[in-house]
Parts: sequence; structure tokens; C-alpha cells
Amino acid sequence: MDILNALMGGFATAITPVNLMWAFFGCVIGTAVGVLPGLGPAVVVAMLLPITAKVEVTASMIFFAGIYYGAMYGGSTTSILMNTPGEAGSLITAMEGNKMAKNGRAGAALASAAIGSFVAGTIATIVVTLASPLIAEHAVKLGPPEYFLLMVLAFCAVSAVLGGSVLRGVVALLLGLAMGLVGLDQISGQARYTAGMPELLDGVEIVLVAVGLFAIGEALYLALYQGSEAQTRSPLGRVHMTRQDWKRSWPAWLRGTAIGIPFGTIPAGGSEIPTFLSYAAERRLSRTPEEFGNGAIEGVAGPEAANNAAITATLIPLLTLGIPTSNTTAVLMGAFQNYGIQPGPQLFATSSTLVWALIASLYIGNVMLLILNLPLVGLWVKLLRIPKAHLYAGILIFATVGVYGMRQSSFDLVLLWGIGLLGLLMRRFDFPTAPVVIGLILGPLAETQLRNALSIGEGRWSVFIERPGTLFLLCVIALVLLLPRLLRRRIA
Amino acid sequence: MATKRTETAVAAACLLLGALYAWGAIAISGEAGYGGIGPNFLPWLIAAGLLVCGALLLRQARCGGFRGRETPAGARSGHWLPFVWVSAALLINALLITRIGFIGSCTLAFVLAVRGFHIAQGRARPGLRLWIGTAAIGAAISAPVFWLFTKVLGVSLPGLTASGWL
Repeated sequence: MDILNALMGGFATAITPVNLMWAFFGCVIGTAVGVLPGLGPAVVVAMLLPITAKVEVTASMIFFAGIYYGAMYGGSTTSILMNTPGEAGSLITAMEGNKMAKNGRAGAALASAAIGSFVAGTIATIVVTLASPLIAEHAVKLGPPEYFLLMVLAFCAVSAVLGGSVLRGVVALLLGLAMGLVGLDQISGQARYTAGMPELLDGVEIVLVAVGLFAIGEALYLALYQGSEAQTRSPLGRVHMTRQDWKRSWPAWLRGTAIGIPFGTIPAGGSEIPTFLSYAAERRLSRTPEEFGNGAIEGVAGPEAANNAAITATLIPLLTLGIPTSNTTAVLMGAFQNYGIQPGPQLFATSSTLVWALIASLYIGNVMLLILNLPLVGLWVKLLRIPKAHLYAGILIFATVGVYGMRQSSFDLVLLWGIGLLGLLMRRFDFPTAPVVIGLILGPLAETQLRNALSIGEGRWSVFIERPGTLFLLCVIALVLLLPRLLRRRIA
Repeated sequence: MATKRTETAVAAACLLLGALYAWGAIAISGEAGYGGIGPNFLPWLIAAGLLVCGALLLRQARCGGFRGRETPAGARSGHWLPFVWVSAALLINALLITRIGFIGSCTLAFVLAVRGFHIAQGRARPGLRLWIGTAAIGAAISAPVFWLFTKVLGVSLPGLTASGWL
């Protein structure tokens, strides 16, 4: 009952005209970002972080959440029509959906993806609503040793589970942690790795790293290697699902949602694994498995639902534990920090209006996005006509706004180019980039927790095995490191 | 073999970074207080991690290449000319933004970057009209962006004049 009251309060805040307007703009920008190649929600939220200086906190969080959500909806459009997955989570949608599009069934694929995203997003939001306060209530009791291990769990999950190589994942994580060291030490106040430059005392801004790695890195990569590539786009057709399509889609949506939510919730980030699992499950359950790989609607419906459910559920660890498990949640955490708010279990007590308004806006956003994406999909597809050169050059302008607007320093713009070069190299040599961003934002917090934990244990490391909570977490970490390897072997 | 050379260079860069971090860690005090570890603990850990990973990368690069590395998208060798144009766009923007203001500087960066991408696509040298057209598009993006962010959203960006419109 408490939850219902709180949620109603959240709706009351979220449906004020101003906040509705922010939610709407967030959804529109998010969809556009998802449709356009070369931009992801993380980098766009990062570019817009400077607005946190003036815009009120609830409004801007609603806005950012709209972008986060919208990009998921928009991303499937591009995946299906152009076979260019924007991120690992839409690989399957691109594969199976593009086959459908080639068979002239783009409309059905788009509809199944959008409605599936809506179903999964809404169910996952209900789970967020019900589970978050409970988790927060228990999480308050966690001490520094448990927190430190939770963060280690997040590090393991993003660096060792995803991507083609554990070694390259770990290198990426170390790069992020190394960047996180720059600046003043949080406990002793000592300056570290600033090379005597006052610009570096405040540390490396997350905007700079996210925009540099993703946007600038991508632009430089395009210039250097991919200039002459042309892409083909499948015709859109009518956005419509037959009765048969509905019948085949809805069980896939529900199964995909059920698979996606747990993966988003545990800090074992990434929506890649649940989409693969959902695809495998649909193929196994199907009466016509031979259709898979040639455009089976379940192969779009299930993974797309799994993707959206996982993405929504990543808000649970962010809001209740303060642990981001994806690029975008890491940047959202940066947004909270700009307001001097540290996401974590206290958030539900200290900023309950904000949290509940944010959760309520997720429900509203899902409805807005369904409307924006189904009848209006033709409008979004027009965005794909923007010539690549102008699109990427335009991205540079927005990157400048984000990075310069944050600290008013032209030094940062030079640094931006340097981090863009790093992004270029990482892309070329197949290093994952998410661990860099998560290491950067979580590293300083993890260090503080580690040092506090050891203070509690009076300097003894055994503090990590003596408490039941930490022992349990150590087992979970071992499981997270081993399980995907076993699963992958079974799927392959 | 080009792959072997470039991968070795990447591994070397990782080793170099590790060495730099270790060198930096020497300067950080180890004052630990009650915790038993001080502000220099994580720096040493990261430096050691980078050195170990660098060594492992080096071994992979020398024998058989990086494991499980996906074939990179795009051309096998880079086109350096467009890369220089786009880099110039970014760096000139950094140099000029406080001198000629956001709109002018970003328009210039836009023109340079578009030219860079066009060279990558193999387009011919543009005539004066195309240059002006591109500049107009760049200005049509950067001016509203400037007004939106400075006037409505309260982000401070540099202008050429104090009027706030240019």
C-alpha cells in the first residue's frame, strides 16, 4: 500500500505540464538518437549533462530517462531496416529482423519490436516499482565490505563476462580505474596523477570520456576506415501485424521479458546474453525452427523484449545500490552526482519525491514511445536520409557543447580528441568500452569503500570472509565468472 | 605482418602506461591510518595490473595475435587524409572557441569535418558554392544550438560579442 501511495505521489509530480514536456522531449530525442547511427543514449545523455547546472533535478532525470528508453525503441528501427545494430543488445534484432525486412515484412517486424518493447518495458517497470523499495530497505544494512564486493561484482561482470576476451576486458577496466585515480583522493585529499595541472585536480569528467570514446572515436573511425562504405535500406511497407503474427509474438514477448529482467537486475550488466538466450529459447520452442535465420517473427519479438526488460531492470541496481551496470546508467549516475546526490539505498528515504517521479515517468514514457514509434515510424525513417558526413560533423558540434559547457575549458576539447583516439584504437583492436566508463565512475567509490572496509576490519583482509554477506557475495562473484562460460559452451 | 606489428604496439602502450602509473605511484604517500592501506595502494595495484596485462597482450601479439579478436569493420588500411581533416576540425575548434565564439568556431569545425568525410567517400574537390552551402548548414546547426543552450538551458558557452546572440 505504501508503494502504491508513493507511486501515486510520483505520478502527481510527473504529470505536471513541465515534467510531461521534459518526458516528451526526452522520448523524442531518444528515439531520434536510437534511429540515427553513430549515437547511443550514453553519449547523448553525457552531451546534455551540462544542463544539470540550471535545470531542476526531477525534470532533468525524467528527461534523461526518456532518452534512455527512447533510444531502445528507435534502435530496433535502424537494426531492422538497415541491419546495423547500434549496440550488442540489438545484434539479434538486426539479424532476424533484417531478414524479415528483406522478405517484405519490415512492417510486422517493426510492430512486433515496438509492441514487445512496450510490453517488456511496462512489466519491467512494475518489477522496478515493487522490488526497488524492498531492496533499498535491506541494502541500508550493508556495510563497506559488502559494498566493495558488490562493486567488484559489477567490475567482473562488465569486464570478464562480456566481449570476446577477458584480457582485453580487464585492460579496459584498468584504463577506466586509472582515469578515475586522477584528481584528489577522496579520503586523504591528496592530489594524484595531476602532473601539476590544476585542470586535472577535479578529476576526469565522465562527459569527456563518454563523448570522447563513443562519439569522437566513432567519427574518427569513420573517417579513417569506413568512408567509402554504402548501406542499403529495406523499404518500410505498412506497419501492421496479422492475427497470426500476434499469436506468435505475445508468448515470445512474455518469455523474453522473463529472461531479460533478472539479467538487468543482478549487476551482471549487458543485454547481450539475455537476447541470445531468448533467441535460443524461441528457436527451441518453435514448431518451425527452420524459419529461424530466415525471418521468424518470434526471433525479433523475444530478443527485443528481453533487451528492453534488461535495460529497464538496470535501474534497480542503480537506484537501490548506486551501482551502474551499463554505459548509460553510469552516465545517469554522473548526472545524479552533479546534483550532489549519491544514488544508493538512502535515495528512497532522502529523495523519495525524485525517485518516485522518475519511476512514474517510466510508465508515461513507455506509452509516449509506443505512440511515437508505431504510427509515426515513417517520420523517423526519414532521419536515415541525412548524409553521413553532415550527421557526424553535426555530432562534433554537440560534443563541443557537452564538453565545453561542463567546465568552460578549451583544454578539455584537446583532451576530447585524445580520448577519441583511444576510442578509435579500442574499436580497431576489439577492446570493450563499457568497462572504461564504469571503472571511471565506480573506481573512486570502490576505493573509498575498500579503505573503509579495511578500517572496520582494523586492517585485516579477513573482514571479507568473516561476514555472511561478504561470503555470499564472493560466491556470487565466482558464479558470475563461471556461469556464462558454461552457458556459452552449451549454446555453441 | 602488419597485424603483428600493430598489436605489439598496443601491448607496448599498455606496458608504458603501467610503467608511468608505477612511476607516479612512487610520489604518492602511503600514510594508511586505521585502514592498513593508504592512497598509494590502488595506484600500485593498477600499475601492476597494467604491467601484467601488457605482458600478456605482448605474448598474444607475438604468438598468434590477440585471442578472439573480431575482424575490424571497414577498410584494412586507414585513409589518413580524412582523419587529418576531422582531427583538425576538433583541434582548431579547441584553439578558436574562446577567440571567435562558439558559433564561428563550430561552423568552421563543421566545414572541415564534412570535407574530411567527403574525401573519405572519394568525392571530388568542392566548388565555392558547396563550401558556402556547407558553412550555411554548419551555422544553421550551431547558432540555434548556441541560443538554446545559453538562453534556455543556462549552459555557458563562449560568444564573440557580449550580446549573447553571436
